[in-house]
Amino acid sequence: MSRARRIRAEAVAAWHSFLRRRTAVFFTFFFPVLLVVIFGALVRTQPTGGGLFAEPAAYYVPGYLATVVLFTPLSRVGSEIARHRDDSRFEKLATTPLGRAEWLIAHTLVNIAIIGLASLLILGLVVALTGAVIPLTPRLALLGPFVVAAVVLFCGFGAILGRLSSTQDGVIAASNTIAFPLLFLSDTFVTPDLLPAWFAPLIDLSPLTYFARGVRAITHTTSEPALPALGVVAVLAVVFFVAGAYAVPRTD
Amino acid sequence: MDEAVVATDVRKEYGETVALDGVDLSVADGEVFGLIGPNGAGKTTLVRALTGTTAVDGEVSVHGETPTGIDADRIGLLPQSFSPPARLTASELVDYYGGLYGAARDTDEILATVGLSDDADSWYETLSGGQQRRVCVGIALVNDPDVLFLDEPTTGIDPAGRRSLWSVIEGLAEEGTTIFLTSHSMAEVERLADRVGLLQAGRLVAVGSPAELVDTHGGGSRLVIETAESEAAADALAAEGFDATAESTTVVIDGVSPVDIGDAVAALSAAEIAYESLTWTEPSLEDVYLQLTGETFAGAATPGGNVVAEQTAGDHEEPRAATPEGNK
Repeated sequence: MSRARRIRAEAVAAWHSFLRRRTAVFFTFFFPVLLVVIFGALVRTQPTGGGLFAEPAAYYVPGYLATVVLFTPLSRVGSEIARHRDDSRFEKLATTPLGRAEWLIAHTLVNIAIIGLASLLILGLVVALTGAVIPLTPRLALLGPFVVAAVVLFCGFGAILGRLSSTQDGVIAASNTIAFPLLFLSDTFVTPDLLPAWFAPLIDLSPLTYFARGVRAITHTTSEPALPALGVVAVLAVVFFVAGAYAVPRTD
Repeated sequence: MDEAVVATDVRKEYGETVALDGVDLSVADGEVFGLIGPNGAGKTTLVRALTGTTAVDGEVSVHGETPTGIDADRIGLLPQSFSPPARLTASELVDYYGGLYGAARDTDEILATVGLSDDADSWYETLSGGQQRRVCVGIALVNDPDVLFLDEPTTGIDPAGRRSLWSVIEGLAEEGTTIFLTSHSMAEVERLADRVGLLQAGRLVAVGSPAELVDTHGGGSRLVIETAESEAAADALAAEGFDATAESTTVVIDGVSPVDIGDAVAALSAAEIAYESLTWTEPSLEDVYLQLTGETFAGAATPGGNVVAEQTAGDHEEPRAATPEGNK
């Protein structure tokens, strides 16, 4: 009960802090919307052509979702840690009963809420603007666990980045440097057959690949099994969360 | 009386920089302990050591437990450069930090204690610097701690706000809270602290009550006479038995009591020596600080001195009564 009270206090403070930074709120939702508009509505997919965007519109749903599932936790949690450190907030929190894992749980919950809303917005826009057909099957319910597990995973990753980077600028630079390659080379927007054969094993090393393949199995190629990918993402989520919680600073 | 905080041979190094060099310290339960020292002396590192927010060599205990092992509900901390989330209101901030503890004091009561009831719904970032610091003090009080660590609690606060916070701290001390505070304000520690420790280059070079420190390290009272005829004045005063030292435009008499000032003036008058002012000072904690840190400068009248007489050249007058107010 006491733990729930602590997590709730931290999460409520983080939620209000986020909502009151209007620029952060705007760009959190505007960035994926911009991608959907540019690639989905302006560039458009060409299923009969070659090169990029040669697949049906629904193929790219995991890519659009990945923009928020990947970028938002990495930059938000990482920069939040840098901000906390700059303002001596961890020094203060270290003398309270709030634990490092509890802190990360609270901030992960806030990210799940934000990214959940952004994901719904993206799905709506993809369907409305690109004509993507997403089959309404019971398997679609697995989309929630996929998003949650991926957010947990990348919140843990963000915490590690926040620990390793000494400034907020450093966190943003590091998260962009890591996220951009992951976003395009994880079987999301760029199909594996467009990449050199030797690169294929590297695709399998990206955690985002399993999110993309699993989500695609739900929203596009419904004959493929989704649970194995969800299992991989879930296991990685646990590993990264534990590592991230350990990385949350407690002392100087 | 039981010891609330004990540090034994505490050492901390950052690379080749020695931040704490074998600090031994004890603070009694219910005591207000003030820590002073120059910038970089290690004050904040010592606070971190005592609160367990940095790892150190040596032993530290708070109420018999390690700083990280003690029930966090019993500890309160205001870090030196602490800044909470800027877009939460004062009330939300107190609620937030209160929510981290098993039990917390009433938010309205906390805000009233630090004088911010009228600003409860203002975002932290819109408050003045002094109000922000008062919110931070309120946050440190939210769990009603047994031991409260305040690292420069009044930095950046205007005089009225500072006195308001002093009253808050005095109230806590009266209720039995053990308080460990660091400060650059000698007036602050003289007013608030039962005992004062002076930290320099990571070493605790003096500990005692303000009065004990002044008696031991502050030197004697002093009379500074501003005159163009300093050599002649020193000779005249020496002839009357004063320990007078001539400097360029002043004569300094060490170890002079207020009742001797009249005799000094009489000696100057008898020698027909004109002076512009007489300033009598008694040693203060600031003198102790300057003396022990080696930052003293000879011949300068210290703040808190009392100008007991002023006259124009050749216009002798008897001095006004000197009262050593302002030093305590």
